[in-house]
Amino acid sequence: MAMPLQPRRRITRQQRRGSWGWMAGGLGVIAFLVWSGTADTLSAAEGPVDDGSDHWAFVAPERAELPPVGASGSGHPIDRFLDARLTAEGLEPVAAADRATLLRRVTLDLTGLPPTRDDLGAFLADTAPDAYDRLVDRLLASPAYGERWGRHWMDVWRYADWHGRRHVPDVWNSAPQVFRWRDWIIAALNADTGYDEMVRCMLAADELHPGDRDAGVATGYLVRNWYALNPNDWMRSTVEHVGKAFLGLSTNCAHCHDHKFDPFTQEDYFRLRAFFEPMGLRQDRLPGEADPGPFQPYDYSVLRRVERRGTVMVYDRAADAPTWFYTDGDERNRDLARGPVPPGVPAFLARGRQPPIEPISLPPPAFNPILDERLAAAFRADAVAAIEAAHRSLEEVHPLDDGVGLARKTAAAAALGRATAALVSLDARLAAERLRYGSAPPDQVVAAAEAATAAERRGAEQSALETLLAAEGVLATARAKPETDPARQAEVVAAATTIEKALGAVEAARGAAMRPADGAYTRIAAAYPATSTGRRAALARWITDRANPLAARVAVNHVWMRHFHEPLLSSVFDFGRAGAAPSHPQLLDWLAVEFMENGWRMKPLHRLIVTSVAYRRASAEPSTAGRAESGGAASVGKDPENRLLKRMNVGRMEAEVVRDSILHLAGTLDRTIGGMELENAVALTTFRRSLYYSCQPEEDGRSPFAAVFDCADAGDCYRRSRTIIPQQGLALANSELVHAASAKIAGVLWAGLPAEQQDKRGAFVTAAFEHLLGRAPQDEEMAACLDWLGAEGRGPAEHLEPVEPEVRRAGLVRVLFNHNDFVAIR
Amino acid sequence: MPNNEAGQRLTRRGLLAAGPRAGLGLGFGALALESLLCDAQPALAAPAGARAKSVIWVFLSGGYSHVETFDPKPALNAHAGKSYDKTPFDNPVNSPLHRKRFRSVPAEEINVRDVYPIIYPMQVGFAPRGRSGIEISDWWPQLAGVVDDLCFVRNMWTTDNDHAAENQIHTGRHRLDEPQPSLGAWASYGLGSLNENLPRYVVLGGPTRSDTRQSIDSLYLGPQHAGVPFAIDPANPLPFGRRQAAQSARQQRDEFDLVARLGAIAAAEHPHDAELRARIRGYELAYRMQAAVPEAVGFTDETEATARLYGLDVEATKLAGERLLTARRLVERGVRFVQVFPSPYGVWDSHQKLKENHTRLCATIDLPITGLIRDLKARGLFDETLVVFCTEFGRTPGLEQRGGGVDGRDHHPNGFTIWLAGAGVKRGHVHGATDELGYNALGDGHYVTDLHATVLHLLGLDGRKLEVPGRRRLEMDHGEPISDILV
Repeated sequence: MAMPLQPRRRITRQQRRGSWGWMAGGLGVIAFLVWSGTADTLSAAEGPVDDGSDHWAFVAPERAELPPVGASGSGHPIDRFLDARLTAEGLEPVAAADRATLLRRVTLDLTGLPPTRDDLGAFLADTAPDAYDRLVDRLLASPAYGERWGRHWMDVWRYADWHGRRHVPDVWNSAPQVFRWRDWIIAALNADTGYDEMVRCMLAADELHPGDRDAGVATGYLVRNWYALNPNDWMRSTVEHVGKAFLGLSTNCAHCHDHKFDPFTQEDYFRLRAFFEPMGLRQDRLPGEADPGPFQPYDYSVLRRVERRGTVMVYDRAADAPTWFYTDGDERNRDLARGPVPPGVPAFLARGRQPPIEPISLPPPAFNPILDERLAAAFRADAVAAIEAAHRSLEEVHPLDDGVGLARKTAAAAALGRATAALVSLDARLAAERLRYGSAPPDQVVAAAEAATAAERRGAEQSALETLLAAEGVLATARAKPETDPARQAEVVAAATTIEKALGAVEAARGAAMRPADGAYTRIAAAYPATSTGRRAALARWITDRANPLAARVAVNHVWMRHFHEPLLSSVFDFGRAGAAPSHPQLLDWLAVEFMENGWRMKPLHRLIVTSVAYRRASAEPSTAGRAESGGAASVGKDPENRLLKRMNVGRMEAEVVRDSILHLAGTLDRTIGGMELENAVALTTFRRSLYYSCQPEEDGRSPFAAVFDCADAGDCYRRSRTIIPQQGLALANSELVHAASAKIAGVLWAGLPAEQQDKRGAFVTAAFEHLLGRAPQDEEMAACLDWLGAEGRGPAEHLEPVEPEVRRAGLVRVLFNHNDFVAIR
Repeated sequence: MPNNEAGQRLTRRGLLAAGPRAGLGLGFGALALESLLCDAQPALAAPAGARAKSVIWVFLSGGYSHVETFDPKPALNAHAGKSYDKTPFDNPVNSPLHRKRFRSVPAEEINVRDVYPIIYPMQVGFAPRGRSGIEISDWWPQLAGVVDDLCFVRNMWTTDNDHAAENQIHTGRHRLDEPQPSLGAWASYGLGSLNENLPRYVVLGGPTRSDTRQSIDSLYLGPQHAGVPFAIDPANPLPFGRRQAAQSARQQRDEFDLVARLGAIAAAEHPHDAELRARIRGYELAYRMQAAVPEAVGFTDETEATARLYGLDVEATKLAGERLLTARRLVERGVRFVQVFPSPYGVWDSHQKLKENHTRLCATIDLPITGLIRDLKARGLFDETLVVFCTEFGRTPGLEQRGGGVDGRDHHPNGFTIWLAGAGVKRGHVHGATDELGYNALGDGHYVTDLHATVLHLLGLDGRKLEVPGRRRLEMDHGEPISDILV
């Protein structure tokens, strides 16, 4: 579809500088848009070439000097940057959060699961000065960390399970094995693999770690964008989201025209695409699983099956695949006269140094997977098992005198012959494959290939023979029927026809076996080009290079946003000129440099952030009435959005966390890690963590429960939305999930109270608050709950429906699930 | 998150009215939070210039044939059996419009959709109806009686020549372009609520299939603006809308009361927490919605005459009748946008046996849709409700010959007919035309977003002002209101 923007003259660099001044002054992008769109302030493009060097984000970050220790008295680098701004604005930070609040905050933050009442008791009892640091270490070491942050990165990297026409089913998008990429993300995070290495693997594991299937599944990032019907759509999604996810560049804007704000031309768009142009998908068998066969290509008239076995990964299919420049966003409008566009990164980021692209010679097992010994062994094991099965069948058939038994025995013997010949054929072909890419003399290679051909033909002959003898068995069985059997005649005729055909096949197979072996045997598994273009490896290295101005900033901003519930730069996928200005540019750069110099490892970054004083502050605004002396009254007015972080922001559980927390607190969460995704239809009756349920843009790509709590939009989720809608209340009040959990929790808490407890109901209220909200009730809350529950010695308030005490207690737990402070993270 | 003092709360309409500068510094979070902060205010008067309070958008999935419903083409009968190039008319396939309005989702190297050049005659008669004399086909005997209330647009076009066009007419985007929120989501985003106990955007009978989710989706506008599918089942009309069986109504009321009491304590503790206040309100609304939704989808207070008007007493018309009657009940109760799918996914798709298919299907819709028009008029709702009746594309004037076909038509994005009725549109009016063979919409025609612009305009909205920071849309996404059809 041609959807041109209205023509707008390009802005000169001087004008852009002027606009940047406005933005820094706080007016921001909208004003900029309005202003730049005013025709009379513009002149036609002229002046120096736009090299982007005037825009902060296009220049590599430097580690800024740390400001002096500020108001919070903290020497922590994050606090020094934040304090400097607070002081400059005359704002005073609030005090630290109490320990119970902090425990719940950091536990949810790092693991996506709330602390239980036992966790709370243990943490409050641990008064050692390093108790918090040890807590953080323990949480980061928990496997739940990888699941929690895995889901975050799955948002950014657009994880999507297979979809297309799920009702058929017919796989058009992504792949049914893409869950292995999700599991790779979790494992990589738990192993604290560097972000740079993760990005490189996702873009080019096949080139950088050839032959390593475990790394290869990381290219699920690219597989996810695959679209059966139109390879151009695969390229379009890839270019758009590589730009947004890793570079914070809205590359998609240049699909139809030069970017209106950034020096990213339409030509640059296609140059970026050219890195990916040679890609194809391959499907590899996994040892320990049956052979899924080669990747099923798209055929307009054939359904694509939901294949769960094996891995799907990217490889360079066609080194010479041309990238054509086209107009109006419609790939039919190719500008053939321009010639193919070569790969390259935009000039304003290359700064004269294009990433060097070297073709990569792959080791043989990488492009010919049968040379992987484990895989060869798997195929061999199949063949051996087939022989064993044939043996057993043969032994079970007894040759009786009636002729039928004999025919069956003969057929079984033929089956064994076929299975045996198949193993011989496999071994011969394996031998040929092993010589094929080695240093053996050519005549040996040829001889092995010819031997493989001969063995394969003998296998075919045995197979034809088996068919023939099986048909004779059928014929004997039919003939053995009484003459009066009405079906007999037809069966005899049919069997005779089959035998006739089978005889022909045997003849043909024998004839083929007699011909000179030509060495053109059937490959055991699909093989691929021995050389990869190296384009994606080059791009991946360039993105994760220390000199790249964008990659680390974009990543650090994503991490920061998920800790503080607000990013440092709000347009998380657009760091270009049309994006927002960062609230703390020096801090962002300092963190980016720190991140890179720390091997791009995420756990140290998390630790750095959560051990800052800023992270540990209370989230409440200082009360206007009570704490005017602390500057509170002025504070609310001055920075109402809390951009400067004088206090912590209040977070809200994501959809996954709401469900997982309910299950975790009820003790029913199944902590199994990884595996094939589950259907959302069973999301409320099975208890795996939420990230293991199908996530894709079709109607069944989210559970009804997750849908009302802002679950990931599998198409585009750089930042979750955070809504409050009445259906959330309905879900927490009426879902079976909450009802079952409430009853279970109430029973366990009640049973766990000491029998000699004076006021058992009061203790129950306390226990329920501690377990669900991570804190003890205040006096007023206790009074309200006791009123409702009924204090010792008298029943609940009279206006309430009389119910059994355990029903009432379950009701109280349910009420706390519906309390704002359950889904809120204070 | 904005944390505004009482009396200074931002509303989205406030933001829009104040112009782009008011949007400064508000990220996604702010857009999301406003959902309830905004709803917590009394509903605003209709936007200035609004003609319609509500929209009933009726979509027939599969693509009904324009030349057998609302766009008569005698030339098809006169030249039946000839190929396009053997008629006195320009071969429509050679028109540049053909390529512009005919874009396959599969890449050309994978599949190119055939163009069928042999003219297939109309399978039904047409006659002038009503005082206006507008011709519609004989398969719409009931609708013929209200034709003077309808406004036809006979020069619609879209670009997807396959059924992802169902998403396209709702979102304005071809499958190969980046997705956008649905029209209903934009309406929800732009309008205040008239009844906060019900969602602003309700879907009946949809999405028709798993992969047409986009037709009701809100994407970056946030889930509070996505269409909420209702089942027409008072016992369980929406997910989690029903109490657990083991719990009595009073028990649940007791629990809501305690939630509210604890909420009030928390609100006193956190006087600046706007989200907390919104959530407390959300729980109150949840309780009321639990009662309001079953009431809205139940027909106990409808008369037998009304039931007959919508064909609830006849098996063939019951499904569409129930959905359209519910739509009327919802707009009566203040729902802004009701998206009705009166027939299942793809059923109008008549590659073969078109005559049999359309005869049967028209009979399922004709009475109920006519009943809706008459009912809206009788209740005084016709002047404030816009009814849109549409499909994803037309059908080829040529005979579909795939697989030896002899009696059907293929998909045809190049020209099709929809109609509107009610608030702010002309009555008994025909706008636009296709060429003599019913192939190409003439002139510029109207891409689907012109229809969107028309709907938003009648709701008092300007799509160009419904921009979200960081999500610029294209000129084509906005379209232009079809001014000729407006009163």
